[in-house]
Amino acid sequence: MISSIGTYLPCWGTATARLAGVDEDAITLAVAAGIAALRSVDVNDVQHVVIVSRELPLLEGGNSAALLAGLGVSSHVRVSEVSGGAPATLDALTSAVLGTLVIGTEVTPTAGAAAAFCGADGPSLTAVDRVTRSMPVATRDSSGRRSDYSDPRLLRVRGLGESLEQLDKSEPIIAAAGLAVRDAAALCDGTPPALPTIGASATIFAIAALIEQRRAGRIAGVEQAALSVATLGAQTSTIARDERSPQPRPTGEPTPGLDLPVSLAAYDRAFDAKLRLDAAKCTTCGTLSYPHRYRCLGCGSEAPTATVALPRDAEIYTLATIRVPVPGLISPYTLTLVELGDSGVRVLVKLTGAEAGSVKIGDAGRLVFRLVATRSGVPDYGYNLLPTRVAA
Amino acid sequence: MRRVAMVGAGMTAFGELFDLGIKDMLPMAVTEAVTSVDKGFDRADIQAAWFGELVSTDGFATGILADSCGLLEIPVSRLENACATGNDAVRHGAMAIASGMFDVVLVVGADKVRETSTRTTFWDWMGMTRDSAWDFPLGLVAPANFALHAARYLHESPTATREHLAMVAVKNHKHGVTNPKAQMRFEITIEQVLNAPMVVDPFGLYDCTPQSDGAAAVILVAEEIADKYTDNPVWVRGVGLGIDRVMHQHKPDMTTFPPTVKAAKAAYAMAGIGPNDIDVAEVHDCFTGVELINYEDLGFCEKFGADKLIENRETYVGGRIPVNPSGGLKAKGHPPGATGVAQCVEIFEQMRGESTNQVDGARIGLTHNIGGPTAVSAITILSRDRA
Repeated sequence: MISSIGTYLPCWGTATARLAGVDEDAITLAVAAGIAALRSVDVNDVQHVVIVSRELPLLEGGNSAALLAGLGVSSHVRVSEVSGGAPATLDALTSAVLGTLVIGTEVTPTAGAAAAFCGADGPSLTAVDRVTRSMPVATRDSSGRRSDYSDPRLLRVRGLGESLEQLDKSEPIIAAAGLAVRDAAALCDGTPPALPTIGASATIFAIAALIEQRRAGRIAGVEQAALSVATLGAQTSTIARDERSPQPRPTGEPTPGLDLPVSLAAYDRAFDAKLRLDAAKCTTCGTLSYPHRYRCLGCGSEAPTATVALPRDAEIYTLATIRVPVPGLISPYTLTLVELGDSGVRVLVKLTGAEAGSVKIGDAGRLVFRLVATRSGVPDYGYNLLPTRVAA
Repeated sequence: MRRVAMVGAGMTAFGELFDLGIKDMLPMAVTEAVTSVDKGFDRADIQAAWFGELVSTDGFATGILADSCGLLEIPVSRLENACATGNDAVRHGAMAIASGMFDVVLVVGADKVRETSTRTTFWDWMGMTRDSAWDFPLGLVAPANFALHAARYLHESPTATREHLAMVAVKNHKHGVTNPKAQMRFEITIEQVLNAPMVVDPFGLYDCTPQSDGAAAVILVAEEIADKYTDNPVWVRGVGLGIDRVMHQHKPDMTTFPPTVKAAKAAYAMAGIGPNDIDVAEVHDCFTGVELINYEDLGFCEKFGADKLIENRETYVGGRIPVNPSGGLKAKGHPPGATGVAQCVEIFEQMRGESTNQVDGARIGLTHNIGGPTAVSAITILSRDRA
């Protein structure tokens, strides 16, 4: 049963073509969608996380630890990294057991992510048929090299068309993920939901749209000549959309000249606190220290500390907008020193989701999981400040 | 403790000294200090040396000082304490004499900032302020450290504005005009400061110190032998050093620099004076807003009174408490290791009535550095009067 769905669209781009921010990748998008889906779920109920994408940042070195940390899910939970598009996400959902969080995420051509938690209630999703055929008009090898055969009609007729021919056609399809609007309309009975993405996340965006429209029936996931079809039941489920209205993405390229070095030892020591936003709580005086430290900020105790989650609502205490070029970074950028809720803890974070310099002291926002930097090939994740939008 | 006398002081010009290496600048500054000694000075008298240098240039720092200046027979130590390096080196020299361990000590400060491209300087200097996992990837460049303070200061101050920051730049440029060692010897206007390209809000180009090369040196001797070198010694009356938490996240009030308050308290106490006794000061104005905060931390005015002080021209030469008669870091330049030592060179001359921008009748002067991620300050109090 699909008991909860969360969606996320970056705030950049246009209504029909969202763009990922410079501090976003497939993992941070997935985290945003996953957090939305888990708003109504106890994270301890998550037994398995399946992330489906064609754009996972690392082939080797691991995306899963960052994903779990960003989601706030235990590092003991199983993660499956699935390379695939819309049909793969549908397959993951139809084969999921209770407690599985399935996330589809993509950066290009339009960015977005959607997550579905499989729980005890909500609409069922039952596999109908799967056709796996090869019509590789677009390819990308393990080094990222792309080739494009550039023959959309061949793909439509001999690729998808032939796969559809082989399909059980006893019932009509009402939604199609993985296709352009026109192609989806041709495939479906009635008007299929318009979807913001075309890859792995599109399947869950389609399910969310059908649930919101209170429609049940067959949904297709398509990727080139591969096709998967499932039937969505009639029940409703919780849908949380983290989708700000879009604005133009600031232009700007990193100033050339430097590859930021990384200390993996320091990265490792900071990892949990930094990605899970956990403070150390002194067991003697209760003072919160962030980052964690050997000796308590408050009383000097060196006893072992407890770990507590920090609030994510933030208020700007002070800030600095860097306008000069800084090698390896995109200028201008704004650094903010923000106070987290009533915790008394301040963190130094970069501004995201708004133009540099567009915020002021006292402004409110929340911390969001983002790619802070890429250093020597290592994605360095942490939190940035997403300011609350004030109605004009 | 023995009293400590300053009997010689010298420095190179500050600037982009592309034609001089560190091995040229060091002997130039030392020789000028040696020749400034009124009754003559044999460098063989030097018993120990401290060398303040923020970033090593051309390798092994102490060896380069000893080798280039002909000081191979004495112990030489290198000292690094962020932008407070210079005054901390003077402090160590003074302690060495006060303790009775040495009678004649050389203190040198130098840095060769323009030995690397301006492009990399931000990251080179960030080495002083970075936590590898937490701050470094954010791009917390040097001006941003101070801008975080200045932005909060301007927010909380009921009256201070960016114009007041600009007034600091205008004053220090005016002061620098008469200083032959200054990097920027031209006057600027408030409008120029306000209309200059922004570096890091609220600092525009003219709110920032230039990048500079330079070296400075002072000679310290024990009270008992000061007469041998001069009839006009300048006394090291007080030294102080203060430290704060390293990360801005842990500084509860960013409208002040607690290291300065701590260093000043120690130096004033040692000298047996208070801020009202200071006739002239050289303070750390790496960014204009920093000078305003310094006025308050050093006790020259009350909290959030700094804008009035600059507005009423009280920190100009001729005002109640002249600040940065040399032009300060802003106009004179800022080779970090040299900066604090060069401030002492200026106050040495002020105390002897020899400055090119003399404060009439000055008897007590103060020098001040604030640096690192705004987490260290060093202060020296010099006087014409022995006690």
